[in-house]
Amino acid sequence: MTVLALSGICKDYPTGEEVLRVLRDVDLSVEEGEFVGVIGASGSGKTTLMNILGCLDRPTRGTYHLDGRDVASLDDDRLAVVRSRSVGFVFQSFNLIPQLTVLENVEVPLFYDHVRRGERRGRCLELLESVGLAQRLGHYPPQLSGGESQRTAIARALVNRPALVLCDEPTGNLDRKSGEEVLALFHALHGAGRTIVMVTHNTEIARAIPRVVELRDGRVVRDSGRGAARRVQAEA
Amino acid sequence: MWIERAVEILVLGLRSLMRNKLRSFLTMLGMIFGVGSVITMLAVGAGARHEILARIQELGVRNLIVNSVKPPETTKPASEEGWFDVYGLTFEDADYVLATIPTVERLLRVNKVRKRVWHGSKRLECAVLGVEPGHLEMFRLEVDRGRPLTDTDAETEAKVCLVRRDFVRQLETIDDPIGMWLQIGGFPFQIVGVLAAEEFRSHTRKALAIDSRGQEVYVPYSTSMRTFGTVTAIERGGTRESSQVDLDQMIVSVDSAEAVFPTAQMLSALLECFHETRDYEIVVPLELLQQSEETQKVFNFVMILIASISLLVGGIGIANIMLATITERTKEIGVRRALGARRRDIMLQFLTETTVLAAVGGLFGSVIGLVGIQGIVRWTEWEAIVEPHYVLVSLLISCTVGVVFGVFPARRAALMDPIAALRYE
Repeated sequence: MTVLALSGICKDYPTGEEVLRVLRDVDLSVEEGEFVGVIGASGSGKTTLMNILGCLDRPTRGTYHLDGRDVASLDDDRLAVVRSRSVGFVFQSFNLIPQLTVLENVEVPLFYDHVRRGERRGRCLELLESVGLAQRLGHYPPQLSGGESQRTAIARALVNRPALVLCDEPTGNLDRKSGEEVLALFHALHGAGRTIVMVTHNTEIARAIPRVVELRDGRVVRDSGRGAARRVQAEA
Repeated sequence: MWIERAVEILVLGLRSLMRNKLRSFLTMLGMIFGVGSVITMLAVGAGARHEILARIQELGVRNLIVNSVKPPETTKPASEEGWFDVYGLTFEDADYVLATIPTVERLLRVNKVRKRVWHGSKRLECAVLGVEPGHLEMFRLEVDRGRPLTDTDAETEAKVCLVRRDFVRQLETIDDPIGMWLQIGGFPFQIVGVLAAEEFRSHTRKALAIDSRGQEVYVPYSTSMRTFGTVTAIERGGTRESSQVDLDQMIVSVDSAEAVFPTAQMLSALLECFHETRDYEIVVPLELLQQSEETQKVFNFVMILIASISLLVGGIGIANIMLATITERTKEIGVRRALGARRRDIMLQFLTETTVLAAVGGLFGSVIGLVGIQGIVRWTEWEAIVEPHYVLVSLLISCTVGVVFGVFPARRAALMDPIAALRYE
């Protein structure tokens, strides 16, 4: 099943008199269970693509189907609903809310999806246990190490059982060891059938990702394709 | 479901205030003073209204009280021994009033003399008030023990008197006061009743010319006229001042409340014709009510102004701090938006915070106000009435202030671009 399908996506930013075209005719489709890396130099349009994929931004032109639903033309509130149900975000700088505990941070997406408190607790506890943070439930983000913070963020991204997990340089702020742990976690999630799109400019990390899409000047210039994905899996 | 959610949002709001207690407290100060002054205003206002009404009830809405006053210019040199001062209302004045003013329903005369009262070897200086039947009922002077003065007493010029409880206490006797004999100005009088201890307001006491020691003795008017006459002699430091006043006081009852002011004018005009000097004063209880209402209005206006200014300043303070908070928490707003919060969720979150802030401030303000009222009552002579709904009203006001001044910052938070907010460092 196709989780996301972009076709002819363009994104323009008006800058004074000229129009800055950040994305030009991007076509991309990702099947369920794929792990896709998006690479490219800075200014290549990675972040903009990420924002559109995450339903934070709307494309100027083109169609975007997420989880079988056309989301390119939804209004602000509907996009928020899509985000709360179908997308999980993992950011470079963790972006945990400092005044909430680990458990409460993980609960946030469910809170906005109007899931009842009792059910919310249960789901969050389960997930936090699976990422190895069962001992840190009542801690506040400033008390956590980088690796723990990012694992909390991953739990938060997974808690609403999203169709798509979006990560933006998830290891960028981590030391080598925790970075490796976090990457291992992503690969494990991929193994469990999650659909993951990870933006990175670290080629070493990208090499381990089954399918890599390269952006340059707002165009997709290379896509190792699904075939590659299968090959890597076969080799493994 | 929604109740659970509302409680959760409320708790979140409270928690984020608790995070920065000092800042929250300082932000609340404006609200605290604002609400404190609102509560004080309500209580003092209600107290003042209550006091005015009580005054009117004591003196009677339909009554006019005319007192004889010693005009200052008639004070003669002390060397002239045995000088007679003649001033005040005359018997004719009363007759003219009854004859010419149609709205007058009743006129009660009072003869007041100062006499020495002896009981055994105990001596007291007392004001002896000769009152006509009806006087006691008019001012609700109820007899606690014994009997009141009757028409028969008046007709037979009986030497009977009513005393106050304080008077009995000052006699320092353990005997039953009823039936006891007193020597008043050399004449024997029998106590037939003791009046209930009535707390008159200072204003009423002044209008009725009674002193605060509760020593007045009431006798029938006819007895007083026959026994004591109209001459009062006061010996002070060896000199003797005598004055002759026909009527020390007259109480004019008017047939309807609307006729009170016209009657007062007629009365004033009539008395002016017969008196060269102003040796009388007219007390109009209804006029006092109006005067107090005027001052009350000014007072209320000033208080409302102060309260509104404090609330306004408080509200602005809250809005200001919330704007700063929102800038500080831009990243959080971005994260919440990315995780599925709609604009209205963000709006609600920050509106809740300002409202909770204002409401908690209002709560503190209520406490401060209640304490302040106690202070005012203790240090001034004002009356204050606190009713439970004042606290409710002030809480409502503070919540309103919270919502009104929270809308702008909350809107600002809600309208933030999530992408820019996420990238904000």
